[in-house]
Amino acid sequence: MNESTFVLTAFAAIGLGTPIVFATLGEIITERAGVLNLGVQGMMLVGAVSGFWATFKTGNLLLGVVAAMIAGAVLSVIHAFSSITLRVSQIVSGIALTLFGTGLANFIGRTGTPALVGQPSRVTFEPLLTSGIADWPVVGPLVFGHDALVYVSWLVIAAASYYLFHTKMGLTLRAVGEDPASADAAGVEVARVRYVHVMVGGALAGLGGAYFSLALVPSWQDDPIGAAGWIAIALVILASWRPWRALLAAYLFGAAGRLNFTFQTLGVSVPANLLAMIPFILAIIAMIVLTSGKRARLLGAPAALGIPYAREQR
Amino acid sequence: MFEAPAANRVNLALDLRGIDKAFYGVKANDSVDFDLRWGEVHALLGENGAGKSTLCSVLAGLYRPDAGTFHYDGSPVAFRSPKDALAAGIGMVYQHFRLVPNLTVAENLALGHPGLGIRVSQRALERAAVELGDRYGLPVDPTARVWQLSVGEQQRVEILKLLYRDARVLILDEPTAVLTPQESQGLFGTMRLMASEGRSVIFVSHKLREVKQVSDRVTVLRDGRRVGDVRTADAELRDLARMMVGRDLDLPTRSEAVSPGEPVLTVRDLHVPGDRGIEAVRGVSFEIRRREILGIAGVSGNGQRELAYGIVGLRRPSAGTVELAGKDVSRAGVLERSRLGIAYVPQSRLGMGLAPGLTTDDNLALKSFRDPPFSRGPLLSTSAFRDHAAGLIERYDIRGVRPGLPIRLLSGGNLQKALIAREVSQHHLVLIARSPTRGLDVGATQAVRSLILAERGAGIGVLLISEDLDELMALADRMLVLYEGKVVGEMTAEEATAERLGLLMAGHSEVMEA
Amino acid sequence: MTARRLHVEPRGLASTRVTLLVPILSVLAALALGAAFLAVTGNNPWNVYTKMIDAAFGSSRSVSETLVSATPLMLTGVAAAIAFKMLVWNIGGEGQLLIGAVFAAGAGIALGDGTPAAVALPVVILTGAVGGALWAALSAVPRVMLGTNEIITTLMLNFIALNLMNYLVLGSFSPWRDPNSTQFPQGRPIPEAGRLPEFFHRLDWGIFIAVAVAIAAWLLIGKTRWGFEVRVVGDSADTARYAGIAVPRKIMGVFLLSGAAAGLAGSLLVAGILGKMDPRSLDLGLGFTGIIVAALARLNPVAVVPVAVLMGALNNAGPALQSISVPSATVTMLQGAILIFAVAGEFFIANRVRRRPPATPTALVEEGAT
Repeated sequence: MNESTFVLTAFAAIGLGTPIVFATLGEIITERAGVLNLGVQGMMLVGAVSGFWATFKTGNLLLGVVAAMIAGAVLSVIHAFSSITLRVSQIVSGIALTLFGTGLANFIGRTGTPALVGQPSRVTFEPLLTSGIADWPVVGPLVFGHDALVYVSWLVIAAASYYLFHTKMGLTLRAVGEDPASADAAGVEVARVRYVHVMVGGALAGLGGAYFSLALVPSWQDDPIGAAGWIAIALVILASWRPWRALLAAYLFGAAGRLNFTFQTLGVSVPANLLAMIPFILAIIAMIVLTSGKRARLLGAPAALGIPYAREQR
Repeated sequence: MFEAPAANRVNLALDLRGIDKAFYGVKANDSVDFDLRWGEVHALLGENGAGKSTLCSVLAGLYRPDAGTFHYDGSPVAFRSPKDALAAGIGMVYQHFRLVPNLTVAENLALGHPGLGIRVSQRALERAAVELGDRYGLPVDPTARVWQLSVGEQQRVEILKLLYRDARVLILDEPTAVLTPQESQGLFGTMRLMASEGRSVIFVSHKLREVKQVSDRVTVLRDGRRVGDVRTADAELRDLARMMVGRDLDLPTRSEAVSPGEPVLTVRDLHVPGDRGIEAVRGVSFEIRRREILGIAGVSGNGQRELAYGIVGLRRPSAGTVELAGKDVSRAGVLERSRLGIAYVPQSRLGMGLAPGLTTDDNLALKSFRDPPFSRGPLLSTSAFRDHAAGLIERYDIRGVRPGLPIRLLSGGNLQKALIAREVSQHHLVLIARSPTRGLDVGATQAVRSLILAERGAGIGVLLISEDLDELMALADRMLVLYEGKVVGEMTAEEATAERLGLLMAGHSEVMEA
Repeated sequence: MTARRLHVEPRGLASTRVTLLVPILSVLAALALGAAFLAVTGNNPWNVYTKMIDAAFGSSRSVSETLVSATPLMLTGVAAAIAFKMLVWNIGGEGQLLIGAVFAAGAGIALGDGTPAAVALPVVILTGAVGGALWAALSAVPRVMLGTNEIITTLMLNFIALNLMNYLVLGSFSPWRDPNSTQFPQGRPIPEAGRLPEFFHRLDWGIFIAVAVAIAAWLLIGKTRWGFEVRVVGDSADTARYAGIAVPRKIMGVFLLSGAAAGLAGSLLVAGILGKMDPRSLDLGLGFTGIIVAALARLNPVAVVPVAVLMGALNNAGPALQSISVPSATVTMLQGAILIFAVAGEFFIANRVRRRPPATPTALVEEGAT
């Protein structure tokens, strides 16, 4: 593979991977708190449509981003309420929100005059630098040639990693996801910690969705994000619930999305459908391998994931 | 970090008077007085249900007392939560540890600590952990994850947690239950060291030998009341046992003596593993004869559960055999042993013996549903279920049953009657019953005891595993005492006194002198 | 969360009134929410809802279409219901249905034109069920043998199945692809002998099979020895073990049956209205909708039938909305909202909410935060 093919593939990988980075990180944070959120797909979609709509109306990208994050967070509050306060099935609640979010996003996209469908974005995220260092070989486009949200994603990943492993709040978060009873006994407010982090996860999912509608596919379609939300759920496992690995996994996924094209230029033909299966197959293998035996402790899910917590009377 | 107060301070560390605490009308602590001096190791002694755990929970801020005064270091306090108590300096190490298994020791020390800033430095925590560990004789590897540690090491982390928060009063709830003898000695060393610094330690236990060894004073609770408060040096083991158990002589009133028949269940050198991998039953042998009730006494946690599981087939023994009427059933599973004639009334009524969400009819058929008339081929016969249940309800006076409703709505007494009814109404040779009258009111208790005596009359061999001495004295013909997985004493009903049993249950072997 | 003013206590047993009321209220609440969204975006909710009712039940043709939509939902609903009741979280109904369709179409194509209907039809249908069960086994085996959580594995297998199906028709020239399709790749039609005959507009005999399966599932769980053991396991695994029930085997059995039911949905589609494995007509979210059906039917297989009809009506009404310029996505929104309210409603079935706390003093811990 010559250098330019590599650069093109890598550049596209980062671009395609960025929304997944946000969504996967959001889901990691939520799951680290012990809550399983299967509504990521729905939250990404409402984020995408909200971001698009806000930017369409105001011409302001920042407002679009904020709208997207709020939309994702609002939807996640419903999930938080069902899962944490009502303590009903997190699985069903998440699926319900995905359905609702999917319908809502389509609905918003098609109502109003003019309908958003088919409209091009008024403003999109463009690369910040188009000349100068951005022209340097390899490093130029790959490091300096991206739009603002890509850099934001790098910052957020770094911040999340530091937060998780080097701050007191991050420790508290991890404890709540592993053993809420012990965290409770140590004086931690389990419910509050869970609510906050579920909402952060929802906001990040919304942001990921907005990247699709404001940078990658700069017009509104009915199916703007594909299966991105579900892929994020899979990547959380592959990333062993760690932010930096999530970044890597998302970029690998982005590269896989480009692979079809890349393979063609190399003269190899691999069916797109089979390539599309890869993240899911890997997630299953990872799930089986990582969650049994000793490895599960180090690389597996937070121990209390998906289990509602209620303080028992001693 | 900690300045030791003078050992003869005027203020008492803790001064509680007239503490009442009730749950659903039952008084767990009844007008209890308790005082603790600074720099002392104070033992809290009593049987199960005496009120020790409740009192400790009050001390640690988990419960608020219904009545009474609570002074800490001379000033009145009212803790709203364990967090408050810990902030004031009172901390507790529970029997079930509250450590996060997947986090490291250092991280567990930091969890919830109010004094730490936003940033958490692993290295600083590790240093603190090593320092504290060395000083108090509680060495642990701070980088290890809690699940990698042995139980003894985990307990050390729990204690270090309290020391890291500079706790002045430490409450240890049955700490030696999970330790080897050597680890226990190490713990005692740590306790004395803490006391010499001016901290105070409350040591909850039922083991007389240990209480005698390490404590300065002993408070004895029985049936929710304080019955004794003595200096350890002044107390004899016999006195402590008598205070703990409360009855001097008891001639059980029972039906006319029945002569036992041939052996029906023989247990030989049984070893059964516990939950955490260490052995819970360590070489137990006995036999039960027909028309006999064999009682096994002991404080809970000494291997009773694993013994029952090993006999019934719910846990595979690591060594030894179980024979039923001469036939070796050591390899047989639960179902086969049930069919061959082992009936089992477990301690956990709704968690194991009965399925809480299923109806009474369903539950009463739980052992027999595979056979006709309950099922013909693959199909169930609901009428057979109903008739069978109706018969048992009538015969055993099970009240409160409404068709179609889950069985968990029944009262404790009726649940137990249903459970026993089911077990004894099918063909069986042996009945294993664990704590059958636990939590039942007087009427239900009488009913259950009559059922068990009726079993004996019908030729069944009964193994009655219980922590309730009254129950054992009233029913058993012969008794064994189980302590730390071994049989430490055997006697007939006539030979049994509460005092003898109490001493054995508390680990004081009859061979040794006080 | 500070101390609450409302006090929650578990209910002993909810009356029939409550258990029926909650699902009905969920639907009504969702309709109200939908009406709000419609109104805010300038549509008349009344018009929309009446149009939907008309599209679903307005003519004999609409009724038949509603039932056509309901048929696979009955099966995916049963699939979810029997699994969830046992606390086996099989959310892979989507994938199991698709693989069922793959197997069924494959069987039909493999049998060829010469086989008589008496053989072809049962083979096609049963092969689909087997396919669904096998696909479920990919999650069931790790669950039973390694304790691997089935939520993620079944979920992921959905997408693998979807891509596999697309590959077979759209991405390659496999036997599943119609060699005669010129414009756009199509699935290869299965022989007529393997088709279910229609009897009411487009509605075919498949609906009777679906209803029969629902009833059979109800009988199996409620009236057989095997079903009894399953119910015990679902209630308390420890009690099941104490009673000598082989818990892993039960879990496996329920998981496979659940997969078979979903696979059967796929084969009924292939043998029925589709006549071939048509990716676009199969990728409809029927598995997830089945979860809604199961939740609303409170995991009762017989109740699944009328609830599936309701969902089928909604699905059917969706496209009709476009004729009045309302997005068909309204239906998806409503379905999601119904599920949210239904699952939240479970809380009210299990608990009673009172304004003041109970009379007896309880431990401090209970009065605190959640």
